[in-house]
Amino acid sequence: MFPKPIQKSAPWLQASYKLLLPLALFIWLLPLIGIAVTSVRPSSDLAAGNYFGWPSRFAGVENYTAVFTNSNIGWYILNSFKVTIPTVIGAVGLSCLTGFALAVYKFRLNLAVFFMFVAGNFVPFQILAIPVRNLTIHLGLYDTITGLVLFHVAFQTGFCTLFMRNFIKALPFALIESARVEGVNEWKIFRHIVLPLMRPAIAALAVLIFTFVWNDYFWATIMAQSADVRPVTAGMNELKGQWKVAWELITAASIVAALPPVAMFFLMQKHFIAGLTLGATKG
Amino acid sequence: MAEVTLRAITKSFGDVKIIKGVDLAIADGEFCVFVGPSGCGKSTLLRMIAGLEDITSGSLSIGAKEMADVEPSDRGVAMVFQSYALYPHMTVKDNISFGLRMTGHKLADIEPRLQRAAEMLQLTHLLDRKPSQLSGGQRQRVAIGRAIVREPQVFLFDEPLSNLDAALRVQMRTEIGKLHHDLGATMIYVTHDQVEAMTMADKIVVLNGGVIEQVGSPLELYHRPRNLFVAGFIGSPKMNFIPGTASPGGDGRIQVTLKDGTIVVLEGHGRTVAAGQPVTLGIRPEHLAPGEGGLKATVKLAEYLGSETMFYAALADGSEIAVKADGLAKAAIGSTLDIGLNPVACHLFDANGVAIIHGDLTR
Repeated sequence: MFPKPIQKSAPWLQASYKLLLPLALFIWLLPLIGIAVTSVRPSSDLAAGNYFGWPSRFAGVENYTAVFTNSNIGWYILNSFKVTIPTVIGAVGLSCLTGFALAVYKFRLNLAVFFMFVAGNFVPFQILAIPVRNLTIHLGLYDTITGLVLFHVAFQTGFCTLFMRNFIKALPFALIESARVEGVNEWKIFRHIVLPLMRPAIAALAVLIFTFVWNDYFWATIMAQSADVRPVTAGMNELKGQWKVAWELITAASIVAALPPVAMFFLMQKHFIAGLTLGATKG
Repeated sequence: MAEVTLRAITKSFGDVKIIKGVDLAIADGEFCVFVGPSGCGKSTLLRMIAGLEDITSGSLSIGAKEMADVEPSDRGVAMVFQSYALYPHMTVKDNISFGLRMTGHKLADIEPRLQRAAEMLQLTHLLDRKPSQLSGGQRQRVAIGRAIVREPQVFLFDEPLSNLDAALRVQMRTEIGKLHHDLGATMIYVTHDQVEAMTMADKIVVLNGGVIEQVGSPLELYHRPRNLFVAGFIGSPKMNFIPGTASPGGDGRIQVTLKDGTIVVLEGHGRTVAAGQPVTLGIRPEHLAPGEGGLKATVKLAEYLGSETMFYAALADGSEIAVKADGLAKAAIGSTLDIGLNPVACHLFDANGVAIIHGDLTR
């Protein structure tokens, strides 16, 4: 068997494995642990220079309460949802259609169109910041949730199309041909055969895009000005304080802001089942 | 009536010609098998009949209606794929009724058809299972069931048994044969397995390199192959080909001198040859018998199968020859075997591989 199970290797190897693995895990998680510990630290600890030591007392409740009372974070989180959920639905929904078209139909510009979707991913979006800002101002979409959603969808659909097209391409084509011979129209083939089989891909993409758009800071700061529109990543800035950085509050807010993508992952986990096409063709 | 007629059909993918002009008539209710080696175009031809591939030129009609511009679904055909192509997220029941449900059939109409197909294929107890919970043979039956419920005029099978194990293949073969008998529909069946073709077909179409080599009943192809390709392809084990020269033998006979010097005299059946014309003598392993003179060969390999024994031997000039002998026959490897050959069973082919004389045992 490869790789060789660790239980079968020499005792010194087993011992060092058991020692090094938790150590590596600890180092890997250090930044997260740092943030989590800081978020329950009283502000006096930070003032006294106790950045990395054990907190003098547990101040979790007051810090997390302060996050919600000292700022509009609840509102910003709502904004984040208002931006992220339509973006996920828009980008994933569109890319299901584009992916299906590019994977199933033979037309002359098929590859050219596909490469355009792929090539779009290689454009660093920072260089688009100013044109996009000008464009949104002209369109009257600047500083609106609609504007943010539209541009996120536009930027994400390229990658999603690449992903979906390749996923559909890997499905047995005989399924589609068989349905065609049976007289099923193309929309129903998409709706009743391809779409159900794409569930794992849809779940994976939804989590990916959700996390990516939720964590976006760049467009959030460029395209949103007012508190009505600002998502949580940009809104967290408000906790900075006037004269000092309230790290205990910012870290607590970060953890609050990180919860939805984590929840999303666990929610979608059961859809990631591999081998959904099992039994479709020869076995 | 659902006769299928192909006239001068060709198919090209870009510059590559796959089908190079096929003319064929399949009668209503006939079981027609397309057989040939990989890449001979048999599957492409079937897919063209199904409407999954465009016809480059020529005409195709099903039941006297021209089909070139008709959508697959309107051709009255149903196709069973090699890979079964079952929808993995649907139960057997949903798989079978999917096409009907999606094309506006009423539930009251679907249910009896579904039940009838399920009974015919012994799937009734499996209707609520998903394809992943079925064995290979069951999956294949579901795929066939999906074709049956549409009540098509023509069934198309694309190597449906290739993914099954040997025992199941034999069983499904008889089941499909029975189905054909019960339904009486026209069936077109593609396979690369000549045993399948021989056992199931009313009519076999041997394809090679995009052209039809020969069309005929199984026994016709066995006894009267038109050329070397068909002679070599039909029949298992393969026919022996021994090179030699022919000359007129008087009395309407033809005298063939094999490369190792052996002389065989064949009845000419009205055919003549030029003196010294290079020919190939074809003789099936089952028409050779060890023991009584004629050819002398050195045994290279012996396979004892119980019911029969196969000897693979080499003639003096090195040409290989297979002999199918009685199950009790014995010969040591390296020993010399005397092989008698029945002149009536000998086929003779000219230098272009076209048959001069058929070793037709039925005449």
